Amino acid sequence: MSFELNRRLAARREPLATSETVDPVTASIIRGGMETVSFEAATYLGRAASSAIINQSNERNASIVDAHGRLAGSAIGTPHLSFVSQYTVRYGLEHVEDYDWGPGDVFLANDPDAGGGHLPDYNVYAPVYDDQGELLMVQCLQAHQGDTGGKDPGGFTLEATDIFTEGLAFPSVKLVHRGVLRKDLFDMVVRNNRFPSFAGDLAAMIGGVQHAVRLLDKLVAKWGADKVRAAINYNIEHTEKCVREVVGSWPDGTYEADVFIDHDAVGKHKDIRVHVACTIKGDQLTVDLTGTDDRQELVGVWNTYGNTLSYVMTQVVAAMDPDIVKNEGFFNAVDIVVPEGCIAQPPPNKPAALGSFHPACEITEAVCVALSAIVPERSAPQVYKMGMPNAVIGLDEQGRMWMDQGVDSRTHDASAIQGMDGWGSCPAALGNLLLSQVEDAEPRFPVLNISREMVQDSEGAGRWRGQPGSLNVKKVLAPTTAMAWMVTYEHPLRGMCGGDDASPYLNHFNVGTPQEHRVELSASEVLPPETVIAYQYGGGAGFEPALLRDPESVKEDVLDEIVSVARAREKYGVVFTGSVEEFDLAVDVAATSALREQLAAERAA
Amino acid sequence: MGYRVGIDIGGTFTDFAMLKGDEVVLYKNLSTPEDRSLGVMSGLEKLAEMEGLSLREFLQGCDAVVHGTTVADNTLIEMNGALTGLITTEGFRDEMEYRRGYKENIWDVRLAPPKQITPRRRRLTVPERILHDGSVLTPLDEDAVRAACHRLKKQNVESVAISLLFSFINPEHEKRVAQIVAEEMPGVQVSCSYQVLPRSPEFDRTSTTVVNAYVAPRVNSYLQRLVDRVREAGYEKQLMVMQASGGVMTREYIEGAPIRVLASGPAGGVIGSAHVGVAKGYRNLLCVDMGGTSYDISMVLDGAAPAVAGWNIHHRYLVGVPMVQVETLGAGGGSICHVSNGLVQVGPASAGSEPGPICYGRGGTQPTITDALLMLGILSPDMQFAGGSFSLSKDGVEEAFQAIGDEMGYSAEEAAFDCFRVVNANMSMGVRRITAGKGVDPMDTCMLAYGGNGAAFAGIQAQELGIDKVLVPKASPTFSALGTLVADPKIDEERSYLVPADQSDPERLHDLWSDLAQRALKFFTDAGFAEQQVTFRYQMNMRYPGQNWALSFDIEVSEGVGEMGFIDATIGQRAIEAFNGRHMEEYGHIREHEVPEITGVRLAASAHTASPRVDRGFTAQRTAAPVAKTRRANLGEGFSETAIVSGPELRPGHEVTGPAIIEETFTTIVVYPGWSAVVDDAGDYELTRNRVAD
Repeated sequence: MSFELNRRLAARREPLATSETVDPVTASIIRGGMETVSFEAATYLGRAASSAIINQSNERNASIVDAHGRLAGSAIGTPHLSFVSQYTVRYGLEHVEDYDWGPGDVFLANDPDAGGGHLPDYNVYAPVYDDQGELLMVQCLQAHQGDTGGKDPGGFTLEATDIFTEGLAFPSVKLVHRGVLRKDLFDMVVRNNRFPSFAGDLAAMIGGVQHAVRLLDKLVAKWGADKVRAAINYNIEHTEKCVREVVGSWPDGTYEADVFIDHDAVGKHKDIRVHVACTIKGDQLTVDLTGTDDRQELVGVWNTYGNTLSYVMTQVVAAMDPDIVKNEGFFNAVDIVVPEGCIAQPPPNKPAALGSFHPACEITEAVCVALSAIVPERSAPQVYKMGMPNAVIGLDEQGRMWMDQGVDSRTHDASAIQGMDGWGSCPAALGNLLLSQVEDAEPRFPVLNISREMVQDSEGAGRWRGQPGSLNVKKVLAPTTAMAWMVTYEHPLRGMCGGDDASPYLNHFNVGTPQEHRVELSASEVLPPETVIAYQYGGGAGFEPALLRDPESVKEDVLDEIVSVARAREKYGVVFTGSVEEFDLAVDVAATSALREQLAAERAA
Repeated sequence: MGYRVGIDIGGTFTDFAMLKGDEVVLYKNLSTPEDRSLGVMSGLEKLAEMEGLSLREFLQGCDAVVHGTTVADNTLIEMNGALTGLITTEGFRDEMEYRRGYKENIWDVRLAPPKQITPRRRRLTVPERILHDGSVLTPLDEDAVRAACHRLKKQNVESVAISLLFSFINPEHEKRVAQIVAEEMPGVQVSCSYQVLPRSPEFDRTSTTVVNAYVAPRVNSYLQRLVDRVREAGYEKQLMVMQASGGVMTREYIEGAPIRVLASGPAGGVIGSAHVGVAKGYRNLLCVDMGGTSYDISMVLDGAAPAVAGWNIHHRYLVGVPMVQVETLGAGGGSICHVSNGLVQVGPASAGSEPGPICYGRGGTQPTITDALLMLGILSPDMQFAGGSFSLSKDGVEEAFQAIGDEMGYSAEEAAFDCFRVVNANMSMGVRRITAGKGVDPMDTCMLAYGGNGAAFAGIQAQELGIDKVLVPKASPTFSALGTLVADPKIDEERSYLVPADQSDPERLHDLWSDLAQRALKFFTDAGFAEQQVTFRYQMNMRYPGQNWALSFDIEVSEGVGEMGFIDATIGQRAIEAFNGRHMEEYGHIREHEVPEITGVRLAASAHTASPRVDRGFTAQRTAAPVAKTRRANLGEGFSETAIVSGPELRPGHEVTGPAIIEETFTTIVVYPGWSAVVDDAGDYELTRNRVAD
């Protein structure tokens, strides 16, 4: 629980000791086998878990870490969460002796100050040994929990100033010893959680890693432990080599970016800065966050160190060939410098729940902006700048907690990229999460969904445009706690290479009443029945200047009511004849080129 | 003579399987893409000729003509369906574009969007709102519906999908919208979500309805053309059509929801597999179908391949109707081998059949799996390929693999072998993902291999997965056609009813099931079945509160509609017990203290029809098969002179000991080292692994 611990956890790890060699194809076959085991573990969890966020929305990740704490492979989930699991395991690996590790053990960890992300991300992991009793690897299964036993249901407290407000932290707790469940501990963990289905979910996570360990035992028996060690070493080295080749093809230089958060979680401190400098020297990429805000009085905007490394890497992998195998090789090839004490590497005991939104996403975004100077064709920020989930939470008649977590369909942050408009409802990296539906939610929660359509003229304009944001309107039918932290009004998601920024996230409470107001900073309110809230997700940002957009594409957008005729004229400099209503819209070529010339001159000035 | 004829149209061949008495006659001819019904008719003429009958006499003697079509699949592959519009609830215009957030590749920021069937200008909304209990919050604004029709008409829309919130509970608004659309847009096709997929949630139902609307005009007009042709030619019964659920039904029924024929071809293959495997004594099968472009994996468990409704993505669209689960990997004979980031990779790109692999000699220049098999000696330029339609050529093949070898630092033969290993590993991973989803260990199954390339890889695949037994039926090249003969007529539909199980209203349940039963009975009666020939499985869909997806189970089975006496005051309690049993079976746990909820009732009605008999057993004298010649080949343990056996010359009882290669008319069977193959009494191959451990 110190910067010293962080330094140890992040330090580069040696390859596994073996004199065995492996050919490239066998190495990739073994890797595929390990990835498939991870897939099976996650599938097991999905089948056995009770809570919707796991078994319907797929918010779960499985990965394998080797005996040295290196990410050996991952299979499923979102990159943001997969790339952090090795750090929680590394903490455990420091305690192999004093925690009495052995075959059949299963551990639970979620401590933000011991390699973890925020508290809700429970990592359940189990060691795998070879037939000599030597530790070979660790199977991890991670899933977001609906509660963490803190002050507020759901684990998010806007005004929290320490981790203890948010709930229970487990640096590394052994839940199963040599195959036997430690029932007293299990019951204690379950007791500290409000969510009614938590016990079943935790049991399913334990079952999932145990299942994976059995499969990995078979895999090790088939190939031999040394061959598996050699394969892990080979695959990590190979990925590092591929990453270095890509970086080596980039021009040397330093590319910098600043991205700001409007204000902290209580709205007291403004313009919180994330600064990133990406330096390329030969085949070495260094991502340096020096210059990032370190005001100790900031509230809520503290991203754990493990998360920072992960969120940097999420954007680095997006900038490269998607086929490069994801493992520790990325971390070996890229140096990440994070000043101790800044919001990207907080001192111990800072709250962590909200930091996984901001500044985590701004870190990812800043890396994207910096790298857009080098790889514009792969520069779309893999973020969710939603402040936090517009969590609406209540208690049912039996006093049990429910949460309509806002994983309702929406478009957010789906930015354009060179040659392609933003599409769908989110950036690619989040494309594994299935969003919930009205017809599943309304029979369960006392909430009426009124609308969630895309909003005309909310696209980030550009030669390639972002996807518009969407407006979700809901009426609560029972007393409901709604929380929001609005962060993109002053500093929306950045456009790339001259494209416009995205539209901001907006949030209105008490819609249609004299008390209607826009949430400007943050809010945590108990809404009485019949209250209407309306929250507009920010859209995706644009790529390259809007005046370069093909007028025919603008016409299509106007016909689709994504862009209005007025905005087509103002933003894109496109003038039409005919009308949308009659479907006889046509680009007035002469008027368009005259207008574009005039606008170009104005914008240049 | 009561003939039954199964017809399956593939990209290259149209397959026929004719059942007369116990005998099955197989036939193949070339497909006729310009009008596929022409190829069907010429094949039927050929079958008539084989029987010494005129086409009219033959068709008059047919009890059933059963057809599997790929028209819906082709429409989605070519994206040339109807100009489609969508009318939906105000406030929910964009669900089709959101796709519930789903993106196929989370690592690829350059993944292109799927083409939209209903771009935003053709997704229109109308004020109306029904709640989850079926009550009306906002009445339907009929003027808005007429205005929407006006806008769609202006855009020349040919097919309209209607999907309103909670219509699966109360369809009145959807019905009224359909009436208005019929009035305002005469002649357009109308697809209502409460009919196509009456279940939650809204994206799944809407997407299925939109895809239905998109393919409906093409599927319906194709089937109409075929019906007209066979009727003119003398066929007097109803044409039966294969569905993805694994059942067949009349053309009239399919017309109501043509989406049900999507992916029906692979389903036919699985149904055929189940039939053959079960007859031979194997009730748990891992079915693998490797053709030119793909590797299709499916499972038969306890003798059945149940259709599952839910998250089925086809050609990038969600189609939620019940389907036999078939997973497709881009690993076929035409899959292209290449080096990427220093790794040997195979697929997903395919050379297809044109230009095809290099060894087809049709201008292909990129090395494929078929080319690798040629390099390894598993295939040979000497042999007749694809039933003798052409020979393979080695020209350019070695050079192509040498290019891979140069990048990797080894020989062309080593490169070909690595490609072979990689495609094998890809297939094994694919299989494990499927079996994991079902909670099955592949070791507990028997593999059944079909498709042109299935039998070349089956043995080594089985070995990697710990499977000791592989079946290769002689009919495997026309398995889908055989499947259409095996499949029973079936209607599987549901109606939603959301209620805690202990509060269900028996009267309501009775009404819903009666409605389903009468509807099914009508289609079966029209198809010439007596009520008592039809089995009615009354099922319930249930889940625990908080779960999104329900489990189905039988609550009553009767021959004929039955008295429905099972719907009484105790039904709720019985349903809870049955559901808990089903949940334990599927997920390994139950929630003792929670009352599950009913989400709907379901009725699966089916009639039994004659199926081809499948022989099993090994009564014939066991003798070593004659070895025709030898060839230098690498079956995984390096190159050596390998025995080549001619398949058509083998008889029941013949045994082939690996390493050996059996050259069949439409396929090549590899007997790997440590394996042996025996021809059973039916002439089918059974491969057995002799070594218990490597």
